[in-house]
Amino acid sequence: MNTPTQSEVRQGISVARLRALWNDYLPYWFMTPMVLMMLLVTIFPGIYDLYLSLVHYDLSSPSTMGSFAGLSNFETAFVSGDAVHSFAITIAFVAGALVLETCLGFILAALVTGVRSERMQTFYRVTFILPMAVAPVSLATIFRIMLNTEVGVIPYLIQTYTPFVAPNFLSDIPLLTVITIDTWNWTPFMFIIFYAGLSSIPDTLVEASQVDGAPLWRRYVHVIIPYMKPVLFVAILIRLIDLLRTFGLVFSLTRGGPGSATKLVSINIFETGFKFVDLGVASAIAIVYLICIVALCNVLIAVIGFEGVWD
Amino acid sequence: MSNGSKRRTFLKAAGVGLLGGLAGCTRGAEQKTPADSETSSSGESKTVSIPLKEYAKANIKWTKYDGDSINIGAVKHPWVDAIKPAVPVFEELTGINVKWNILPEQEFRTKRLTDVSTGAGKFDVIFMDQVVNQFRQSGWIQPLDPYFDSGELFDESWYQPNDLLGVCREAAHGAGRADMWTGMPITVEVLTTFYRKDLYKKHDLSIPKTFADLRANAKIIHENENGVVGGVARGQKGYGMNIYIQNAWIRAFGKKLWNTYPSDSALDSEPAIAAGKSYINLLQNYGPAGAASQTWSDALSTMQSGKAGHIFADANLFWDGLTDPEASSVSDSIGITKMPVPDTSGGRFAPNAFTWQISTSKNAKNSEAGFLFMLWATSTPTMNWMHVKNGAPFPVRESTWLNKDFKKQVRAKYAEVSLHSLKNAIGDPFDPKYPEWGQKYSEKLQTAIAGNQSVEKAFRSAAKQAEQIATTG
Repeated sequence: MNTPTQSEVRQGISVARLRALWNDYLPYWFMTPMVLMMLLVTIFPGIYDLYLSLVHYDLSSPSTMGSFAGLSNFETAFVSGDAVHSFAITIAFVAGALVLETCLGFILAALVTGVRSERMQTFYRVTFILPMAVAPVSLATIFRIMLNTEVGVIPYLIQTYTPFVAPNFLSDIPLLTVITIDTWNWTPFMFIIFYAGLSSIPDTLVEASQVDGAPLWRRYVHVIIPYMKPVLFVAILIRLIDLLRTFGLVFSLTRGGPGSATKLVSINIFETGFKFVDLGVASAIAIVYLICIVALCNVLIAVIGFEGVWD
Repeated sequence: MSNGSKRRTFLKAAGVGLLGGLAGCTRGAEQKTPADSETSSSGESKTVSIPLKEYAKANIKWTKYDGDSINIGAVKHPWVDAIKPAVPVFEELTGINVKWNILPEQEFRTKRLTDVSTGAGKFDVIFMDQVVNQFRQSGWIQPLDPYFDSGELFDESWYQPNDLLGVCREAAHGAGRADMWTGMPITVEVLTTFYRKDLYKKHDLSIPKTFADLRANAKIIHENENGVVGGVARGQKGYGMNIYIQNAWIRAFGKKLWNTYPSDSALDSEPAIAAGKSYINLLQNYGPAGAASQTWSDALSTMQSGKAGHIFADANLFWDGLTDPEASSVSDSIGITKMPVPDTSGGRFAPNAFTWQISTSKNAKNSEAGFLFMLWATSTPTMNWMHVKNGAPFPVRESTWLNKDFKKQVRAKYAEVSLHSLKNAIGDPFDPKYPEWGQKYSEKLQTAIAGNQSVEKAFRSAAKQAEQIATTG
């Protein structure tokens, strides 16, 4: 048997070292492409957005383009612009839709979980998640027609079968209307998550509380909801972030109107950036909005806490 | 053959068909149509839809850019459909290859903005609208005068620029704000009033000449016809929506949009507020319940379905859709008349006119060839062919409006009302900040139409915002 030469030994050692390096840091190697991708799609645009918010970037005024603006873009947006109003509208929209979707989603999930027949459970599951499959823009178009006071089916049904006069949904109660339609569209998302959560509760836990003689409401308050806390928290957090990003449905339905009654922050950013071509001011609103969203999520996490969520 | 193999064969055939279809859609210029089927762009046969001799009379060097290509950035618009079949004639005449980039309106606006502001210069010819002065002031579009002055590219006696309607020439000069050509006009529309002839006959109404007449007629129909409102008009916000109509109302009441631009808006003047009240009261009292969110297409479809007595004032181009038996249930009962005049002492006949123009950007690579296309597209032979032979209803040349065949085709009443209105029309003087303050003003107007704010408050607030935006811009 030949003895390995010195160079072969050296080569063997370096390969072994490389292999060790690869094995020791294996998870990091696998994550590297994704981390790079995230840097590319989040960090770079974020920094560029911050830069735009600090310079004059009004495409319709090329003479001042690119010059340092200090905080004047923020001033334009929040002092003389609609930004404060759009923040208020967004808070009302998000709070309304989130409460409704969470409550309805949970109630529907609890009802379906209580259905004994497997086949009927499947039927209800499929039926209830159907609205989620409709794209927001299509949904808005359909509802625009259905709510039309002249030809829409909803005012017709109200006028014909109830003693009430149908309101003009998009003019008289626009914010309530968009909240309701968003609720119709996204309650299925909450339903499906809560349904999965409720289905995962051990039967023994519920049976034990039944044996102890706890009435239904006590079972929910003291056993089921505490057990569901992680699911509730994650579902609410995901839906909250998604609601804060709402654009297509409301824009297609009302264009932010009448006037600016449904002008969400996202619509304000779009109009400022792409209609008025003032990317500096649009970026300033976006930066403040981003900070608010991150802060809100952190407050939520701090108040509810991750304790018990990931156990 | 097995089912699997049948399915594969079907999928393959469907795939090829779909790809072919898509290719046809995206390369519209290559689509076969009755008109260009008789056209040969490279062969010896010279049978084209418009005889080339019509253009040979011009002292223009049509073949100067033989072999070049031009990119046209266009909105998905009836003008495109009307001119496309004739484009092989241009290609035959000049040897210039035409490539279309057609997008829906909103997408096109974003694409156009990106193209000009980044200096990409992809489009040699672009559709131009309310942003004309914003683009002109930013130096993104070229004045066309140097091309007109070139001895080789223009022949005034053949082209006859004075045959272009005055309101269109004005629009193509920065909406009246520039003394140079910012583009060439391609389509024009003017505000007119539509009414239901059958209901007029039933209630013995006469054609409205004043706003008071219009209001009285709308009231009678609204109160006596079950399921039919007095009239419809645009209430939705947007600078192409409610204010497109309201601006004309203000001018009819004897006022302009600005007392002095950019420091003194006239929106808070008494005539403007009176105009606002007149329009809003009409919509609130005799319009549909959701008037504030009605777009022009809503107004059109409500009238088409027989649920409105009038379209108070909107584009004359609705005529086609309203009188088409396949699209309108009241096609036989539609009447068209001029926009009425206010009953006030300063009232005047001043319908709004809107002109699409085509321009060339500063960074375009083939502006000269693009200019030849503009010239060809708006010349008398092309204009006549598009409107007489290919059904377009929006000529920008007076001679086409007076053409007997055209008048016969669009019906004499449409031609008569439209031409008279166009000759007296006033276009919006789109200032560079119009897209921005117009949007805000339209929001205020919509709020007032919805009844959520008084007309006075809405107009005063709109004036303040307009001044602020225009002066700080």
